[in-house]
Amino acid sequence: MNAPDRFELFIMQDGEEKVTAVDETRVPNCVTFTFNKEDHTLGNLLRAQLLKDPKVLFAGYKIPHPLFPNFELRVQTTDETNPRAAVVKASQELIKDLTIFRNNFTREWELKKMIEPGKEGI
Amino acid sequence: MDGFDMMDSGTDGPIVTIRKADAMHADFVLSNVDLAFANSIRRIILAEVPTLAIDLVEVIANSSVLPDELLSHRLGLIPLESSNIDEKMLYTRDCDCDGYCERCSVVLTLVAKCTGDQNVTVYARDLAVAAGAQLGNPVLSDEAGKGSIICKLRKGQELNLKCIAKKGIAKEHAKWQPCAAVSFEYDPHNKLKHVDYWYETDAKTEWPKSANAPWEEPPAENEPFDFSAVPTKFYIDVETVGSLQPDEVLRQGIKYLQEKLATVIAGVNKTAGAGAGGANGGGDVNGMDQDGYGGARSPDMGDANGYRNFNDGYVTPYGGAGGGGAGAQTPFGGYGGGGYSNGWP
Repeated sequence: MNAPDRFELFIMQDGEEKVTAVDETRVPNCVTFTFNKEDHTLGNLLRAQLLKDPKVLFAGYKIPHPLFPNFELRVQTTDETNPRAAVVKASQELIKDLTIFRNNFTREWELKKMIEPGKEGI
Repeated sequence: MDGFDMMDSGTDGPIVTIRKADAMHADFVLSNVDLAFANSIRRIILAEVPTLAIDLVEVIANSSVLPDELLSHRLGLIPLESSNIDEKMLYTRDCDCDGYCERCSVVLTLVAKCTGDQNVTVYARDLAVAAGAQLGNPVLSDEAGKGSIICKLRKGQELNLKCIAKKGIAKEHAKWQPCAAVSFEYDPHNKLKHVDYWYETDAKTEWPKSANAPWEEPPAENEPFDFSAVPTKFYIDVETVGSLQPDEVLRQGIKYLQEKLATVIAGVNKTAGAGAGGANGGGDVNGMDQDGYGGARSPDMGDANGYRNFNDGYVTPYGGAGGGGAGAQTPFGGYGGGGYSNGWP
């Protein structure tokens, strides 16, 4: 009855920002980003990609409360770069990987269809 | 870009081997990726690929044994043909009509009446799509081509319903799921010990082998545990309900994941203040490597220095040294290939 509408999980409210960032004052080169209306799909993906970057000293995410659709991503980098740049770079790497995945999948799928014609129904 | 491009998995990105492909299944092995990547793919095709499903039902007549609510719930769960939905339909919330219109909905009508002594069974096939609709036909994948049973009518009972189908995603309601199931497995021999099998005397003999076990080498007898090993090979079977072809489900999932990442790039750049992030980001990665000029810029880059300062001033706290690096950077152009943040599709 008083359950929140399900679309609040992914529709931004008026005036809400997708990403907000708080610079960590006690740690150098460290930022905590809060992503609104996002979940493990994005959080874990970014975290894992950031950890592959040798300039990233720390990357972790948490979902502070399961009823609120947001997560926090904390990133600390070496002083050769900064957390924002690291996140942007990680995202770009992932977009690239996903493009490769899509191309490889499409190619394999078309091949499979050629080898086994007729199996492709509907 | 510079050297640390190579940090990525070594070779060039995800590798796909398709094991089975038909109208309902895409069974493939995804390798050379990490667990988070594979899991995000799984999550996004389960929850965030849009399809079409009946969302509103106007009950004009219902004298069947099923109450209106139950009937409308059943109708919602019927898969409707929805390929290329992004090109053909808007979300109702993004449409400027009030209520619904032909740009954001498909109207299906169901009229059935039992007049004889024999009970009448109403199937999904009996849903009539409004003329001119580009999609929304009920999926009839059974052999008889009747679709799922909606309800049964006794003599004299009738149904007259107007159903409005809308575009939506499964995060809102599971009826919009394009997939019945996405099976997902890695490490069938449990070499990584991510699973702790329960056993009476010996787990090896008591548990059946995974169907994916032949795809990987079983561990040698008394093989030492490799504590630094990570899963890299994933066995994924996407099983659709018929509203979308499995390859389309996957491609759409990838597209939405990329869009998510693109909004991250835009959002993170925005946090650096007035669009300066791109310049900072780009400048820092590229520019700094060349000039070797330390990362001290980050703390104040946001609020203090607007983007404009940056481009034509840039001198402020750190002297003009960075000119070279920064000169080349437009807010978004800094990155390798430059394409992405610049209006990624």
